[in-house]
Formats: sequence, structure tokens, C-alpha cells
Amino acid sequence: MSITVAVDEPNDCVIIRVLGSFDFSLFNDFRAAYTDLSTTYERYIIDMSQVEYLDSAALGMLLSMRNAIDLPAQIELKGANDFIKNILMISRFDKRFEIQ
Amino acid sequence: MKLLCVDIDAVYRDIISLYAEKEGMAVKIESEFDAARSSFREFMPDIVIVGVVSELEQSFALLHALKAASGDRFTPIICLSDHATNAVMDRCFQSGADDFISKPFNEGLFHIRLKTHLRHIHLMKEMYRKNKALTYYQTMIEREHEMAHHVLDHIQGRSEKNSQYVAITRLSAASFNGDLALVKTRSDGARLVFVGDFTGHGLPASIGALPIMQAFFDAVDDLLKIEVLAEKMNRILLNILPDYMFCAGYLIYMGRDGDILYWGGGMPNALIRRTNGEMDYLRSTHMPLGILPASEFEGKLEANQLSTGDTLIIVSDGVLELKNSEGLMFGDEKALQLIQTAYAEKDLIKAQYHTEKVLADYRGESAQLDDITLVALRC
Repeated sequence: MSITVAVDEPNDCVIIRVLGSFDFSLFNDFRAAYTDLSTTYERYIIDMSQVEYLDSAALGMLLSMRNAIDLPAQIELKGANDFIKNILMISRFDKRFEIQ
Repeated sequence: MKLLCVDIDAVYRDIISLYAEKEGMAVKIESEFDAARSSFREFMPDIVIVGVVSELEQSFALLHALKAASGDRFTPIICLSDHATNAVMDRCFQSGADDFISKPFNEGLFHIRLKTHLRHIHLMKEMYRKNKALTYYQTMIEREHEMAHHVLDHIQGRSEKNSQYVAITRLSAASFNGDLALVKTRSDGARLVFVGDFTGHGLPASIGALPIMQAFFDAVDDLLKIEVLAEKMNRILLNILPDYMFCAGYLIYMGRDGDILYWGGGMPNALIRRTNGEMDYLRSTHMPLGILPASEFEGKLEANQLSTGDTLIIVSDGVLELKNSEGLMFGDEKALQLIQTAYAEKDLIKAQYHTEKVLADYRGESAQLDDITLVALRC
């Protein structure tokens, strides 16, 4: 699986880890990763440390997630390499996400 | 599932029927080869059991005939024989048999063999079904991409033709990705430019392009301020696109004196090559169009200035992410060097042609994954 989901109950947090190429092929799996949860959490962490490539479809999928998750719940984009961080910053995703 | 059995020996016919029916199969039994041939055509079995008779050549001929009649259909043939010599087995397999069981056989073993073959048949059927479905969808997507190209070409056709002041290159990839490049001179002599990159591929990517084009050409006619146009485009896309789609882009106003005002969202830096070889940039500072609600949209513009002979070059990420035969991306640095040298050329069309050629040479034999858009404006 290119997407794994881990729930950290004590910290009220979900960690969604994406592996390899983050693109349109993960559309359904990525959506399922946050909609299949039985409850909502305070923080959602997208672990991108294993993402090698990210296209504009993936950016769209992240925006769609942001719309689906009510504020004030936070979404953190964590561990992106410089190439991917640059893509996120060019599109000013810092306005909608915590980028770490 | 259907099983056809041809065997002169009634005992084996009964055993085979028994186990085939246990597996829920419809069974057709024949005792003669001629009848088996016509049953094969009419009954269309999924698997065939052939009892090889002592007239060996007749048996091989039957196997040949059945294999030929099954055509593209996967129909395993299992031979049963009490002449289980290597030579006979060899001929059976060469004539089209898929398995061989020597008589007399253990009934339990026969049952297991039958179940194994059934499993393979199921797998093959599933594969055929998926393959057919995929072929169907592939054809459909190819038609959609063709249609998207058609729509986009129509839009581009309204844009300004190449000259010593404007050069637009669009190299379409096999899978169309929704790059849009529009340039038009207004009645007051100022130029309006929009270079956009829609999320996604194919038809969905082109849907947003139609109203964007309309808004762009209306703004040219109405001398609309670009901050107002940017806000309008954002609103249009926010309304019509689903939340996972947007459009990165530069919206640029260039006055007759080379004064530039621009709005940029989600695009790589655009480059300015000064006549003296120095480089400058347009930076996109906003989120792409179609994401932020009208209340949050930021229409703040940036400014720059072109002097006579300076060139502004806007490239899509298709250029920066162009891969060579070793899978290496062209990248920012090479793009910068290329533009710095190529646009030293006084003739803009020649400069553009040279740039296209360098990109094509870099790509070599590898497939172009993304559309490539390259817009050059000279003051």
C-alpha cells in the first residue's frame, strides 16, 4: 500500500503516510484515509518523508482534504524534501496547512 | 462452467461426470470423436476431457481441431490415455493438450486436477474481462483527450500570432494536461497575457479553460484592470471546478512602454532577460486560481519594467520537469542558462526556435510526459 494510516489516540492525532509518487492514482485511497476514520481528530499529519514526486493532482487532493476537515483541526504536511517543499510553497500551501 | 467429455469408456465418462457435477459444472458427454467436434461448436465448453483412443492419429487430429476451434478462447484440454508413453504424451501436448492423465487414475487426484484447471479458467476469464474493460476505457480516454485538444486549440486560435514581440510555443504531450497561453493586444496598445496550468489531464482540465478564455478576451475588449480580472477568474473557477481542481497562472499587463503589472499564483518564476544578459524574475506570490473564496482572495499585484529589447519568458512546469533518456529533469538551472543564451538573439522567432530545439534535443527519445508551454514577450 502507498498509503498507511496510524491513529495516535492519546495525542488526538492521525498520521497518514504517503509512499513514492503522490499523484492522481492515489485519489481514492487518499480520500479514504481521512473519511474512513470513525471519529475526528485535533491534528492530521501527512507524513511526506517518503514521497518522491508530487503533482498538481496531489495538491488538489490536499485542498480537498482541507475542505473536508472542519477547522480548527490542523493539517500538518511533514517531512517533505526540498523539491516538494518548493512545490508546496510556490502554491502558497502555507496559507492552508502547517508545513514542517 | 461447462465441461465436454469424449471417451469411449463408459466407466470414465461416469467418473468425470460425477466430479464435474460436484463442481457445479454443466456436463456434455460424447462417446465418438465426430460428435465431440460438433458438440464443441454448439456447447462451447470451458474445458474438454479427451480419452485418447488406440487410433492415435485420429486422437491427435481431434486435439488439433479442438484447439483450432477454440481460437482466442482459453479452453484447456485434458487428455486421458492408457498409452502413457513419452512419445504419446509429447504428441498430445504438441497437438494442443494442456494436461495429461494416464489411465487408470486415482479419482481424488482427478478431482484435484479438475479444480486446479477450473481455478485457471476463472483467472483467465477475469483477465479477459478486465482487459476488455481497460481497452474500452483507454479508447474512451483517448477520445476525451482528442476532444480536449480540439477545445483548447480553438481557444488558442484566438490568441495573437507570433511576431517579433510575442512568441508562443505549445508542445502537446500524448496526455494533454491543460496548459493555456493567451496573448492579446488591447485597443490602447497594451498587451494582456495569461499563462495557466490546470490541475489534472484530459477533458476535465479543459473544462475550466473555456470560461477563463471568455473572461480574458472580454477583459481585453473592456480594458479591465488585471486585479479585477484575476478576481473574476478566481470566482469563475471556484464556482465551476470541484475542490481538488485549480489553475496556477500568471496574469500579466504590459504597457506600451514596457511597464509590467502582474498577478501570479502557483507558477514557477518567470524570467526576464535584459539586453545586457542580466536576469530578473517575476515571482508568483499567491495561491492558484480557484482555491480561495472571494472574501479571502488576494488581488495584490507586483510590478516590473522591460526596456527595449528585454524579453520576458514564462515557462510551464512541463519545461522544468522535462526528462531526458536517463530520467533526469531539465531543472531550473538549465532553463536559466538556456534562456540567457537563446534570447540574446535579436530575432525573437529565431530565439524561440532555438529554445525549442534545445528542449527537443534534451528530451531525445524519451517520452514527453507533460505539455510544454513557453511564452516569450519582447519590448
